[in-house]
Amino acid sequence: MVGFGPRIVYEIPIFDGIPLSDTVVNTWIIMAILITFAVMASKRLETVPRGFQNATETIVEFISNLTAQTMGSDKLFFVPYMGTLFLFLVFANLWGLIGLRQPTADINTTFALAILTFIAIHFFGAKRKGVGTYLKGFLEPLPFLLPMNIMSELSTPISLAFRLFGNMVGGFIIIGLLYSALTSFSSMIGLSFFPILQAGAPVFFHLYFDLFSGVLHSFIFVMLSMVFISIAMD
Amino acid sequence: MLGLVEFGWTFAFQIINFLILYYVLRKYLFKPVTGHMNSRTEKIENAIKDAENKKKEANELHTEYMSKLDNIKEERNQIIKEATRRAEERGNEIVKAAELDAKKILERANQDIERERQKAINELKDQLSTLAIITASKVIEKELDQQAHQQLIQQFIDEVGEVTWQN
Repeated sequence: MVGFGPRIVYEIPIFDGIPLSDTVVNTWIIMAILITFAVMASKRLETVPRGFQNATETIVEFISNLTAQTMGSDKLFFVPYMGTLFLFLVFANLWGLIGLRQPTADINTTFALAILTFIAIHFFGAKRKGVGTYLKGFLEPLPFLLPMNIMSELSTPISLAFRLFGNMVGGFIIIGLLYSALTSFSSMIGLSFFPILQAGAPVFFHLYFDLFSGVLHSFIFVMLSMVFISIAMD
Repeated sequence: MLGLVEFGWTFAFQIINFLILYYVLRKYLFKPVTGHMNSRTEKIENAIKDAENKKKEANELHTEYMSKLDNIKEERNQIIKEATRRAEERGNEIVKAAELDAKKILERANQDIERERQKAINELKDQLSTLAIITASKVIEKELDQQAHQQLIQQFIDEVGEVTWQN
């Protein structure tokens, strides 16, 4: 039985050896794509947008409008954070379409993102309201509900991280199992040299688990980050 | 192979990765594109405002020039009227002056004629008196009878000829 955990690509020989998983390598590839895109997009901005610039402006405007609608137009400085989050998550979740492991199918990735949102929630909440007012918010509506409030706040990143992780790793495992099942079916009917059953059938699973679920959960993650941060700030 | 739900170094890697990606995308994608789009919006708004102002100005100028044109037309009509009036006056003056001149000339001519006539009459009278004296001396020489008297007068008349006696 093959495990579904991230594979170790390389072990950096410092400390006791730092494992470099395929999650990190795939993230680097996605980063390279996105950074190339960003640098190319902003290299030559013209007043009248043509071709590629239209796409760039559409993406930025979409995220900008979404942020303005969800968080309010006074919080537009979150556009780069939400935009980066959204673009990275879309790429990461669709990474399964090219047969590689999604970086988001690793709890370390989703938890890292959720922790960043968690920090943003409390940092900007305290900054906007003032530390005193912000801390007093934990005693509302009644002071003895303080433990409840703290637990509720701590559960936010956990639920964010595990929602995305669960969906992505679920799809990843199902599709992995499907491929191995189809491979063994192919060999059962004597086609082990040419596992033809792997063509076609997985498309529907990819459509659902990667395309639908992937884009949906990118959107959910970003929307929830927006909502939590703006609630903490208002 | 790492465990499916296992926290490790990847967590630190992913936080750093995401922060780098955030920094780069903010610097190279979101800030320039948003700034560019905002400046374009501003530019378009300014252009529209500018165009509206220019249109308003043009309309104002149009009405101003139209009224000026009307004034000019009126002025032109007045100038033409004035000129016509003056020309008529001048013409009348000239005609009057000419008439006056003509009258003067006529008067002078009449005076000249009168003078000439007077002169002629005077000369005639002189001649007449001379003739009368001659006649008188002849009468004294001859004896005067009725017949001779008649004859003398007839002779006198003949001598004087058919000169007009109107004056």
